Amino acid sequence: MELETLLQYKWGIMIPEFIILGVATILSLIDLFMPSEKDRRLLGWFAFAGVMVALISLVGLLPVEVTSILEDTFRLDSFAKAFKFILLAGAALVILLAMDYQPAEGIRYRGEFYYLFLTALLGAMMMASSGDLITLFVGLELLSISSYILVGLRKKHVRSNESAMKYVINGGISTAITLFGMSYVFGLTGTTNLKDIAGRLSAIIDMGQQYLLALALLMLFVGLSFKLASAPFHMWAPDVYQGAPTPVTAFLSVVSKTAGFVIVLRLMIYMFSGTPAEGTNSSSMLLSMQDYIAFLAGATMIIGNTIALKQRNVKRMLAYSSIAHAGYLLVGFVTMSMFIVDSIWFYLVAYLLMNLGAFAILQVMTDKSDSEDISQFAGLYHRSPLVAVAMGIFILSLAGIPGTAGFIGKVNIFLGAFVTEPAHYVLAAVMIATTVISYVYYFGILTQMFFRPAVEQTPMKLPLGVMIVVIFCAIGTIVFGIIPSIAYDFLNQFEHFGDFFS
Amino acid sequence: MSGEYLAFFCLALVAIAGGVLMLNLTKVVHMVVALVFTFVSIAGIYILLSAEFVAAVQVLIYSGAITIIMLFGIMLTRHQDEGYSTGGFLRKTLIFLAVAVFGVAVYFGIDDLDLGGQATTLHEKNTEQIGIALYSKYLIPFELTSVLLLVALVGAIILAKKDNEEAKK
Repeated sequence: MELETLLQYKWGIMIPEFIILGVATILSLIDLFMPSEKDRRLLGWFAFAGVMVALISLVGLLPVEVTSILEDTFRLDSFAKAFKFILLAGAALVILLAMDYQPAEGIRYRGEFYYLFLTALLGAMMMASSGDLITLFVGLELLSISSYILVGLRKKHVRSNESAMKYVINGGISTAITLFGMSYVFGLTGTTNLKDIAGRLSAIIDMGQQYLLALALLMLFVGLSFKLASAPFHMWAPDVYQGAPTPVTAFLSVVSKTAGFVIVLRLMIYMFSGTPAEGTNSSSMLLSMQDYIAFLAGATMIIGNTIALKQRNVKRMLAYSSIAHAGYLLVGFVTMSMFIVDSIWFYLVAYLLMNLGAFAILQVMTDKSDSEDISQFAGLYHRSPLVAVAMGIFILSLAGIPGTAGFIGKVNIFLGAFVTEPAHYVLAAVMIATTVISYVYYFGILTQMFFRPAVEQTPMKLPLGVMIVVIFCAIGTIVFGIIPSIAYDFLNQFEHFGDFFS
Repeated sequence: MSGEYLAFFCLALVAIAGGVLMLNLTKVVHMVVALVFTFVSIAGIYILLSAEFVAAVQVLIYSGAITIIMLFGIMLTRHQDEGYSTGGFLRKTLIFLAVAVFGVAVYFGIDDLDLGGQATTLHEKNTEQIGIALYSKYLIPFELTSVLLLVALVGAIILAKKDNEEAKK
């Protein structure tokens, strides 16, 4: 390929990715030449600044029409833009948390800590804006491999080692399953371009090939459910969340999960929504497989919420709660209404705010004592009332109480289950029932904070980075809970992601 | 029975046998050798599909590089630990059932599958075609892969490095 042909592509639409890549490279070089006893905090601020600049450049790209580079291996459409906002914001907040992370035994490799977050973010962003199976897969692997290393960064900590090992093995298996599913799709269509795949699949009416496609759909979904931490690939979540450094846990539960939903939506809607099933009887493969996915969504909600009941370790409890939230989000996916992308986007924003806020406070609470038992929260209100109130807001939002962003997100998904024909009454009922069950363990933390006597009386001081995260998330949770129209006005410019297929 | 079918049958048998042996052998070195059988016979299957380049890469990287690295890794570390099986009878039965169900489901899928016409130009300059596709159309994932390798390298170093700063002091 000539240089001129290469230069005529609009590389400008990749600016956020280039910024992240550049910052990660510079960070790794600085880290290499910096004397090892120097404080690495400055590198953290540099990484944070890089993510913020990328965020600003993404705002600048908002008016850009759908553009694609090199036959859709990179494409910027409204879907990509909307989800990159969540990914970038989540990563920025996680880096703030990482700067103030002080585990009991200290952490070596601070510099790596920051730039591995950035490379993981780069992988997630590539997944958000690609229309080609190969780029999607490479992005997925970049995200996964960076997170495997991040999980194991506390080298002297046995649990961290164990969780990294479990994460790698489970991740490897799930990747193999995903790739097997992709290979069937590639074999039946002979192309990796999602648009071409959709075109060729819609012409397939042979029952045998459709059967294989349905198998491929299930394999893809099962493989990718690892990233969502939903059934049947949820068992890694509690162990890995518990063992990983807290900022990494926050990253896995927010950014990685968002990236998982991005790739699931992209692949499933693109490839299977227009593919006929059962000869030519049914209009869409995705609709005819709906029951299986609905079953998995229901199982995820039930497993996550019931097992969370017996947890005393707060990090483990939040892991199960994160499984449960993946289940709620899947309900939004299963309903396949017109607005699935909108409602999932909003829920992910709400989830980012409330979950990162909760992890920020948890990190400060557990760093000092190296214990994550729920009794750590006893009497928090008497020690530092403001922190307790902020934590209260996050917990209420996670539980889905009116007035918080979590409530609005949940209501949207719940109502979405009735919009379609036929309505998903069973799934909606499971969602309500499991939400009520979740009150038990969420409110358990609240009783500890507000009604139990404090063990120690010293007020808790939040470090600067954590303080910013907590304030930002608390305000966001309340604002999106009371006036959600702000978010929906923002979403309206994308016109329900109509340019998804163009 | 054509020669191609016979060759495929032998290669597939060796590949599966290698995999099964890898799971059942107890010594790590033996497992690696069993794995080599699988890798090489998969390379053979690639040749049957007229993908010589992929076959050569398979031999070079999997049977060559990865196996050697594994053997070195085993030699340089403790390798007295012998593999032992975990899980009770019930668990094994359940896993076997799940695998069997999946196998049957896939078998029904590929049995009597009509894929339409067969490609006839598979063997034409495919190395050149891979090169052109890699450096033109798939430039972005190709560059992204370099980031991926860098991350893997950094990760391998920081996870495996001995922190001997105490020793230095």
